[in-house]
Amino acid sequence: MSSKEPILQLHNIEVKYHEVILVLKGVSIQVPEGEIVALLGANGAGKSTTLKAISGLLKHEDGRVTDGAIEFMGEQIHRKDAEEIAKRGIFQIIEGRRVFEHLTLEENLRVGGHLRGNGRQLRDRLEMVYSYFPRLKEKRNLTAGFASGGEQQMCVIGRALMASPRLMLLDEPSMGLAPLLIKEIFEIIQKLNKEERIPILLVEQNVKLALTVAPYAYVMENGRIVMDGPSDVLRENPDIRDFYLGLTDLGTRKSFRSVKHYKRRKRWLT
Amino acid sequence: MEVFLNLVISGIMVGSIYALVALGWVLIYKCSGVLNLAMGELTLIGAYVCLSLYTWFVRPIGQPTLAFLLALAGTLVIGACLGLLTERFFLRRMIGEPVLSVIMVTVGLSFFFKGVVEFIWGTDTRVFTPEVFSKKPIPLMGNIYLDSVYLWSFVASIILLIVFVSFFKYTRWGLAMQATADDEMAALSLGVSAKFVYALAWAIAFMAAGVGGTLLGNVNGINISVGYLGLLVLPAVVLGGLNSVPGAIVGGIIIGVLQNLADGYLSQFTPGGVKEVAPLAFMVILLLFKPYGLWGWERIERV
Ligand SMILES: Nc1ncnc2c1ncn2[C@@H]1O[C@H](COP(=O)(O)OP(=O)(O)OP(=O)(O)O)[C@@H](O)[C@H]1O
Ligand SMILES: [Mg+2]
Repeated sequence: MSSKEPILQLHNIEVKYHEVILVLKGVSIQVPEGEIVALLGANGAGKSTTLKAISGLLKHEDGRVTDGAIEFMGEQIHRKDAEEIAKRGIFQIIEGRRVFEHLTLEENLRVGGHLRGNGRQLRDRLEMVYSYFPRLKEKRNLTAGFASGGEQQMCVIGRALMASPRLMLLDEPSMGLAPLLIKEIFEIIQKLNKEERIPILLVEQNVKLALTVAPYAYVMENGRIVMDGPSDVLRENPDIRDFYLGLTDLGTRKSFRSVKHYKRRKRWLT
Repeated sequence: MEVFLNLVISGIMVGSIYALVALGWVLIYKCSGVLNLAMGELTLIGAYVCLSLYTWFVRPIGQPTLAFLLALAGTLVIGACLGLLTERFFLRRMIGEPVLSVIMVTVGLSFFFKGVVEFIWGTDTRVFTPEVFSKKPIPLMGNIYLDSVYLWSFVASIILLIVFVSFFKYTRWGLAMQATADDEMAALSLGVSAKFVYALAWAIAFMAAGVGGTLLGNVNGINISVGYLGLLVLPAVVLGGLNSVPGAIVGGIIIGVLQNLADGYLSQFTPGGVKEVAPLAFMVILLLFKPYGLWGWERIERV
């Protein structure tokens, strides 16, 4: 792990939905100040659940951290409400581009600044967000529900940016976007991290891309962290190359596991 | 023609009161998905509170108009407080429960409020004494006259409608309410307090209903039947599409006009009650053709 002080620490957390469905079975993650950390894993591994546990949105879906602890800037937050956690500066960008569809793009951004007051401050932040996303400024009066997928993704990232986050939890920003747009959005994410010094916990299906923007990554399977390390090390790891990056020849493997891997690989690469 | 215009114009005036109440109803529905079946009782409470304040103020102040305006302001303040309290004590604990249970709670609330009103104010019809607005008709043009009660009710409703809509459109909490209506989880992720949004919706509903009840009480006198407004609001909001604020306003006005026309042209052929039935009948017919109402949200689908 990098030498920087972690701003966020998950200590062996366990999460249950409806008090019975055990989804996270002891997850430990650290996000250092000012860095991007990637969280990778197959569908249903529990990545979104991990983010919701941190942001407190879990409670909204009748889920609960039943064991372990989440520490943010030295304070335990896993029992707090989403609202209080947001006040401490953690903002989750939920997967699936959840814009407020009947509001305009600019109104969406203004809701993002909800905790940051009115007037001057709000206008300054709007200009800051528009400087990262000029496209949003161009279309500021467009009803968000009618914006293109890329614009909607920019809108939800910009919306969280309006809140001056101390930590951003970004869930699958590339989902369903064209490759060129994905590239554009990831460049902006990197720029945000560099210039605004915002630490980001990034959940991504596009492993190759995630490993380029994040210097450190965790891999999750079935509610557990099965691997973690610096991205350049993970990139060389045979398992990662095999079923997440699809760089080796699968045909040479014969075990039952490899069949499963093949299926998984197909999912990953679509 | 003059009869027709007269009916339409006074219909618009009364309709603006319905619009106000309908707006309150839609806010609660939009933000929390709850059909508030206690809306009629909210108008009732507002009307009686305003009446009491008025009788209380009018002697020391001397001037009926000023006393009424003060009483109206007082009704708004008390309405807001009652709204916040109702949400806090009856509805907060229902967050996360099935919507149907919450609706049943509003049914319970409607009986509760009605009981409270009868307990405090009795069941006799009461009127604002001395009269706030003179009954002298104001000539509009040609042979068309308008009671000043209607005109002032119209002005008051329109002012309040503008205030509420501007709040909704331009303020921080107004936007937060709209955001919560669109996607509660996403709003929550930005630190918007859903609890406070619900409380705000109830406060505004109480205020709008209270003023609506007061204005209507000025026209007809106040008794339990003011609560009938709560029933009239249903066709108004259904017409507008349940979750559309402009729809509720237009719906309210349409219902007002419709009611007046039915009363003016059809009541001679029937033993009575056309005025009450017409809006509901119209609602049923409209729903056959436009199941989402006139301006209802269909989910935005891009193609
Ligand atoms: N509200 C819920 N109630 C019950 N179970 C849930 C709930 N939300 C998620 N789960 C379960 O928890 C597991 C992990 O879900 P999660 O959404 O965290 O996965 P994920 O890693 O984000 O997957 P994806 O890549 O598909 O988004 C899944 O098996 C899912 O069925
Ligand atoms: Mg997910």
